[in-house]
Amino acid sequence: MNDMRIADRAVDTHGIRIKASAVQVYYGESHAIKDVSVDILDKAVTAFIGPSGCGKSTFLRTLNRMNDTIPICKVQGSILLDGENIYDKRVDPVQLRAKVGMVFQKPNPFPKSIYDNVAYGPRIHGLTRSKAELDGIVESSLRKAALWNEVKDRLHAPGTGLSGGQQQRLCIARAVATSPEVLLMDEPCSALDPIATAQVEELIDELRSNFSVVIVTHSMQQAARVSQKTAFFHLGNLVEYGETSQIFTNPKDPRTESYITGRIG
Amino acid sequence: MQDSHIVSSFDRDLEGVQAQVMKMGGLVEKALLDAAEALELRDEALAGKVRAADQAIDGLEEMIQTECARIIAQRAPTASDLRTVLTVMRLATALERSGDYAKNLAKRSLVLMGMAPVGTATGTVRRMAKLVVQQMSDALDAYIARDAVRAREIRARDQEIDQMYSGLFRQLLTYMLEDPRTITACMHLHFIAKNIERVGDHATGIAEQVIYLVEGELPSDDRPKHDAVSESI
Ligand SMILES: Nc1ncnc2c1ncn2[C@@H]1O[C@H](COP(=O)(O)OP(=O)(O)O)[C@@H](O)[C@H]1O
Ligand SMILES: [Mg+2]
Repeated sequence: MNDMRIADRAVDTHGIRIKASAVQVYYGESHAIKDVSVDILDKAVTAFIGPSGCGKSTFLRTLNRMNDTIPICKVQGSILLDGENIYDKRVDPVQLRAKVGMVFQKPNPFPKSIYDNVAYGPRIHGLTRSKAELDGIVESSLRKAALWNEVKDRLHAPGTGLSGGQQQRLCIARAVATSPEVLLMDEPCSALDPIATAQVEELIDELRSNFSVVIVTHSMQQAARVSQKTAFFHLGNLVEYGETSQIFTNPKDPRTESYITGRIG
Repeated sequence: MQDSHIVSSFDRDLEGVQAQVMKMGGLVEKALLDAAEALELRDEALAGKVRAADQAIDGLEEMIQTECARIIAQRAPTASDLRTVLTVMRLATALERSGDYAKNLAKRSLVLMGMAPVGTATGTVRRMAKLVVQQMSDALDAYIARDAVRAREIRARDQEIDQMYSGLFRQLLTYMLEDPRTITACMHLHFIAKNIERVGDHATGIAEQVIYLVEGELPSDDRPKHDAVSESI
């Protein structure tokens, strides 16, 4: 009996990539995230859902210290990536963001070539020693982002010349080029049409085999389609966190129920 | 969750299919009671009406299933909304099957009218039908009230029907052993009793759906089963 329990626990801890405990975020006086604790699993897609302004983006940004760039923003509590506190003084935020990559709502390729967009991260982090090695990373990143076949003949054309959906996949390629462990995505499809959205969703599902993916989405159907775990935020609180299938068929909290069924809460 | 949706036409969709299911329930209950009455009173005209009425039940079922499919496609219901739509679909299926059993009862009662009566069996069948209809109507009430407590009580009561069926089965066996000329009639009566017992199972199934609808999970415990038939064969 005892042995079984120990074995179960070992498997569980192995699956956790990020462990956030008692996280508080303040913007000046305003309390934006209230005592949120959550385990983000490896090789799984976790969706953050909730009404506008509930703190999804704020909490997502705590996971790679993107909030550091907002002067009035104060973060408390602990966030462990692979057991290490990312807010430790010895952690270099730039290095951290190579490990915890981010894709934003509006595709924001640099005004450079497709190649240079993807090569940017590996270059500044000095991840490669030769042109051939860099070429390899660019190709494999574009393949992981399901964009290679569409751009392989025009790698030196500007990234800004691609369609919206292609630009977003380029940003995903740029994020995966530094071999991150976690990919954070903040409403990555909200500027895309349904076909491009479907392609990005398909890609997210593939990325899951190599990364831990956290996606903020205002589309409940998207959360239901792409994620294995769903976290529902409301007024800065994490109201409910569980298996996506459970959240969408049998939520435990009446606030979750009201929100996902489109009722006035 | 009784609050209304932000999109009010969604509420109208859900109310619409639920109203149709209740209408279907009313038709099925009437068909069963009429069929049992026709059997006991040897009322050919009434049995004929029950047979004809099954079309309306089938039509409603088809309409409900189509409408539910449309709701799923257009509204992508979640949580209790999803469970409501799934429950409506399962209720419609259970009621359609029960309607078929009522029609079959009417058909067999027409055959039985051409034969000598067998003891008091048709009276017992009718009492059994009344009990089953009561179960069905209680289960549908529990559905409308979203009352899982009552649904559990209904589920536990299914035993009574099973026991009545077992009693009738033994009674029919006795008749057949005593007078082999009653075998054809007794076989028909036995199928009728078996079918009513199955309607009882559908009523129990509806009660279980109510538990699923309210609590999000089907009851997992097996309900007690006293099946004297397996012992007597
Ligand atoms: N840079 C900022 N400065 C001050 N307040 C902010 C800032 N960013 C977000 N907020 C506030 O924090 C709360 C949560 O916002 P946000 O995390 O963007 O929500 P969501 O992504 O769920 O829509 C909101 O009340 C918002 O106004
Ligand atoms: Mg946001």
